[in-house]
Amino acid sequence: MSTQLTPVAPAADRQDERPPSGRGFSSLGGRRSLTGWVFLLPAALLILVMNFWPMFQAFILSLQTGRGAQLSFAEPLWFNYQRMLADQTFWMTLRTTLLYLVIQVPIMLVLALILANILNNPRLRFKGMWRTAIFLPCAVSLVSYALVFRTMFATDGLVNDVLTGMNLIDSPINWLGQTQTAQFVIIVGLLWRWTGYNMVFYLAGLQNIDHSTVEAAKVDGANSVKTFWYVTLPQLKPMILLTAIMSTNGTIQLFDESYNLTAGGPAYTSMSVSHYLYEVSFVQNPNFGYAAAISYVILVIVALLAAIQLKVGDKRD
Amino acid sequence: MRKKMTLASVAGVATITLALAGCGGGSDPTDGGGGGGDGDDQTLTVWAWDPAFNVYAMNEAATIYQQDNPDVTVEVIETPWEDIQTKLTTLAQTGELEELPDIFLMQNNAFQKNLINYPELFTAVTDSGIDFTEFPESVVAFSTTEGDNYGVPFDNGAAVSALRTDILAEAGYTVEDFTDITWDEFIANGEDILAKTGKPLLSGTAGESDLITMILQSTGASLFDADGNPTITDNDALLQAIDVYTRLVESGVLVEVNSWDEYIGTFVNSNVAGTINGVWILGSIQTAADQTGLWNITNLPSLEGVGEATNYSANGGSSWVVSSNANTELAADFLGATFAGSTEFYDTILPSSGAIANWIPASESAVYAEPHPFFADQPVFQLAVEFGAQVPSVNTGAYYYEGRDAVSAAITNILNGADPESALAEAQATVEFAMQ
Repeated sequence: MSTQLTPVAPAADRQDERPPSGRGFSSLGGRRSLTGWVFLLPAALLILVMNFWPMFQAFILSLQTGRGAQLSFAEPLWFNYQRMLADQTFWMTLRTTLLYLVIQVPIMLVLALILANILNNPRLRFKGMWRTAIFLPCAVSLVSYALVFRTMFATDGLVNDVLTGMNLIDSPINWLGQTQTAQFVIIVGLLWRWTGYNMVFYLAGLQNIDHSTVEAAKVDGANSVKTFWYVTLPQLKPMILLTAIMSTNGTIQLFDESYNLTAGGPAYTSMSVSHYLYEVSFVQNPNFGYAAAISYVILVIVALLAAIQLKVGDKRD
Repeated sequence: MRKKMTLASVAGVATITLALAGCGGGSDPTDGGGGGGDGDDQTLTVWAWDPAFNVYAMNEAATIYQQDNPDVTVEVIETPWEDIQTKLTTLAQTGELEELPDIFLMQNNAFQKNLINYPELFTAVTDSGIDFTEFPESVVAFSTTEGDNYGVPFDNGAAVSALRTDILAEAGYTVEDFTDITWDEFIANGEDILAKTGKPLLSGTAGESDLITMILQSTGASLFDADGNPTITDNDALLQAIDVYTRLVESGVLVEVNSWDEYIGTFVNSNVAGTINGVWILGSIQTAADQTGLWNITNLPSLEGVGEATNYSANGGSSWVVSSNANTELAADFLGATFAGSTEFYDTILPSSGAIANWIPASESAVYAEPHPFFADQPVFQLAVEFGAQVPSVNTGAYYYEGRDAVSAAITNILNGADPESALAEAQATVEFAMQ
């Protein structure tokens, strides 16, 4: 089954087109290959200069200390990393970020999967409208949605009014003023904005599934739950892996919601680690060496989690 | 094939050259992004952020300066404060100082931080002929280091108590009952008014330490000593200020809200009977046109028993900076002739934008003394300048934002039941850690 879904290698990577003896540039294959490389070169060089060189510079920066522009190499070199171990605020923001990750990402992906399945039903009416409505949140500007959420969850906002109206609460809840509820609002905001985005990936995945496999399962007597679990889901695995990595990556680098929705409050307890990085760079006295060190730790965490997900998700038969 | 390869290499090199040329931009004089000192020495470029307020004031200043100097033009580039801070940081970091404008506006609270971290951005204006004794000492202190002046104070941050006279009257009080009083009296009056009218006297954004720093400054104390070391622990004034704040919240005299918009909403929608903030808050109060004639302003309650215990404090404010890339002589002369020397200028901008001067001679003008109908015909502008001149001068230090944030976190924890002394010890540790 999975052979169907193995991505087809791009033409440039196809080894079989190269003649077995075509190593030297004198051969036709060799020259073709060289032309290919020359065409790739500009993009490759640009990526090198624009992406990898700054990354390298950032690493060098993370080994330096000092305020503002007066930087010098730290003593010892790993001072900023050592400093992070003792930084209570860093650990708190990291814990909060991981909390968002653990709670929000699974809920969001399951929800997106369910929605995608419902919307893929050929008998559903107004399909286009539903799809647009669910996808629309992620086309909304990050700042404006955060502001709308902040107004909705204000003490005298819509959410409290509705809950009071339904007699579910006696007095208004101070959503953004308490640690747990502020974190809850951020999670709700993330779910609202990104579920539709992930759903689109699943929809695309679902449409690529050969319908005959589902038909075959039905002919064999499988009910819809079993068909979904044993036939559809395995074929969606590459897509699920992709969305899981993207969501993990996005959540660990979470900034906008923390900055606009709760401003990291109360008392730093809903702040994400990327928001803290911003504070260290631009709000407080600029400490770019330390900020660069924090960004490298974020990079390592993202890379590690992605590697684990790839390892767990990639069980080829 | 060879031809093809040559073409491909040319294409490649061209792409890279074009792309890299894009990154190095900014040297084009028409981009308007800065370039203060170069080229035309009769043009002053300025960064300021509020079209209705400081941008407007700068343009008016230009008009007045042009009466005597018709060749000089002032080009104001509207740049939000956060962007100015980021730009300054980036330019200092990359050393591209020629991208700086001639003059830029800076928040007073961020002044020391930028001055100490990036001295290369500033030009001292100590000997430029501007008389700094004509500004309140407390305001000049924000932009002074080692005896040198680096900023010309602009908007007034003097703190005022603004109160609703109709709600006070309902409970049998007048504004005189709130003038020259202590915080104990304020809380007692507030409790009485809350019981009689159901309205709290004040509101504030939860987790912000603005009121506490205002109380601190009124006693001549700060979160930092004269050398810039944090004094968050063993700070009697701070402990008492936090005690006042806790009592205000617990008695219901101050209601906490979560955002700036909600805070403005509380007094515009008549949910509270007043507010305490920098005098610039009067602009927001006046948006409630239906409350015309119902407001008065007075000075702040004092914190008896510690320090100087005055009834005067400040919150916010900003100053003009002559950049290191400026046509220094022209820029200083311009600022000296307008923001630090023209009553006519302040008389022009006051009625239309509500920009209240820090420049003390301006307050002597008849325009400042005019009764303001919204505030029941009080001469609010004159009062604000008088209050400003009596604010004790304190050192907010380069680590103002670290101190403010750490104390804000401590207040939240104290209101949630933490012991004040240990919460403040934690805040001190946080600031000391940030200063390492």
